[in-house]
Amino acid sequence: MPTMRKLALLPIAGLILAACQGGTGAGSSSASASADASHSTEMSADASASEDTSAQAYCDTASGDDLLKSICDAGVIKVSTDPDYAPQSSVKPDGTYEGFDIDMANAIGEALGVDVQFETPAWEAITAGSWAGRWDISVGSMTITADRKAILDFTDPYYYTPAQMASNDDSIQAVADFANQTVCAGESTTYVDWMEGNLQLVDAPPVEPAPDGITATTLPTDANCAEAWQAGRSEFTGWISSSTTVQAAIDSGIEMHMVGDPVFYEPLAVAIDRSGAPHDQLLAALDDIVSTMHEDGTLTSLSEEWYAGQDLTTSTQ
Amino acid sequence: MTAAGGGSARPVILDQIDASHRRARRRFRAQVVAVWVGLIGALFFALWITGQIDTDWMAEWAPFILGGTSITVLICVASIILASALAVLGALGRLSANPIANGVASLYVSLVRGTPLLVQILFVYLALPQMGITLDALLGGILALGFNYGAYMTEVFRAGIQAVPGGQSEAAQALGMPERLVFRRIVLPQAFRIVIPAVGNDFVAMIKDSALVSLVAVQELLWRAQRAGTSTFHTLQAFLIAAAVYWALTIVFSFFQERIERLMARGDR
Repeated sequence: MPTMRKLALLPIAGLILAACQGGTGAGSSSASASADASHSTEMSADASASEDTSAQAYCDTASGDDLLKSICDAGVIKVSTDPDYAPQSSVKPDGTYEGFDIDMANAIGEALGVDVQFETPAWEAITAGSWAGRWDISVGSMTITADRKAILDFTDPYYYTPAQMASNDDSIQAVADFANQTVCAGESTTYVDWMEGNLQLVDAPPVEPAPDGITATTLPTDANCAEAWQAGRSEFTGWISSSTTVQAAIDSGIEMHMVGDPVFYEPLAVAIDRSGAPHDQLLAALDDIVSTMHEDGTLTSLSEEWYAGQDLTTSTQ
Repeated sequence: MTAAGGGSARPVILDQIDASHRRARRRFRAQVVAVWVGLIGALFFALWITGQIDTDWMAEWAPFILGGTSITVLICVASIILASALAVLGALGRLSANPIANGVASLYVSLVRGTPLLVQILFVYLALPQMGITLDALLGGILALGFNYGAYMTEVFRAGIQAVPGGQSEAAQALGMPERLVFRRIVLPQAFRIVIPAVGNDFVAMIKDSALVSLVAVQELLWRAQRAGTSTFHTLQAFLIAAAVYWALTIVFSFFQERIERLMARGDR
């Protein structure tokens, strides 16, 4: 009997112990979350001697409660990225990231003279706002739209991606052929807005409406559409994504073809949460960095490096 | 002499029958194992000859995907601890005569069991920030999972407490034990023994449900498998690796669960 009672008490002791650990465990796990779970990649900004002065300049002007000031004080800028968008951003086997947006983010970190730490929230969490300091800026090829402008502040565009339609059906050879067809796109993307007639681009030429009777279907991210074709699924005959993402899928050997010319060009910019800390100084610094990178050709060479020799940094076709 | 001899001198034939039964059992078990190995081998062979297994890709990406295992385990362990604590409180509330405690506990159980876990996880991650409550994705995922399973386990714990025969507490009260002591010393230990198998099942289910947290970008097993698979268009292999790890985790846990159950069952004799 005594042994049985001791045995029976074991789980209680275990539970109390567990409860105590639960208290501290939650704290330590949240602390390790950014370092461990989100596998943040820190890139040290090797600012060259010539850029050191400008790096100093941005942080020297930072004052008050501006976001720029807290970034400079922390010595690190937290950048959100969605690593499902090769060649903009993708994860490498060692858990670090690479791509056009990643290089862009690192260039921003270098210009500010701070380290870059990447966070990988879901895309809807980025476009929904209310970041609450989980990350400072989005360098994620985000299109400037009227809807998003209500929630986010945007810098000047750093490049423009062509929205490209594609199909795995040989009978579809022109954009008009998508009338009464189902077309796949990533969730919460401008491509869905366009197909549903809700796309309002800001600072961009007017956009041709989508073909009549087009039905949008969505998957969590753009590349999932190509994946569905690869797996032999046939719920949709079309796919719309950035021309670079479509090209990456074609290059990987999936049977499909591009249809027609790009249907619109999206201005893509760095975004900051409007509901967060004041960020006038940060926005001005980022605009300055973007225009400098446009002028000195850094963006053009980055674009040519990641987009197979194409210069996507100007809005003209 | 004859009495002692009569007890121990089993006819040889009985030993032979026992040995034969043991052999048959061993053979049967070996055959079952052979069927498993054969089926799994056939699956891999089929994948291999259809060119679905790319060893270069495996070598490059498997370590990245497997790196998510520790985060999956962390999520499960932290969530089960939270769930157990909530379940004890919830069960006490459900059995309480106090209308407030009873109301809070029964609303908790009804609300959480009546809504999908996926909705709860997305609510914590996407909706709470709009109310000004912003939790880290990992912490939010653990809270959502623990909160959800706490409700299910509340009912398990409540049933366990109620399953302890009333005579047990009556006997203790008759001996003059105060009510709190009766609950702590007599009812709760016996209830724990009763609920262990059910709690173990919940834990196995939670290991699998932890995959839902990948949706809110916690870089656990499934998140890593999806990122690696999607960006390189090797979805099949990526999911196979993730599935194998979940399977292995549940097998390992079930093994320990069985031992604990056997240990606890000893008190029944």
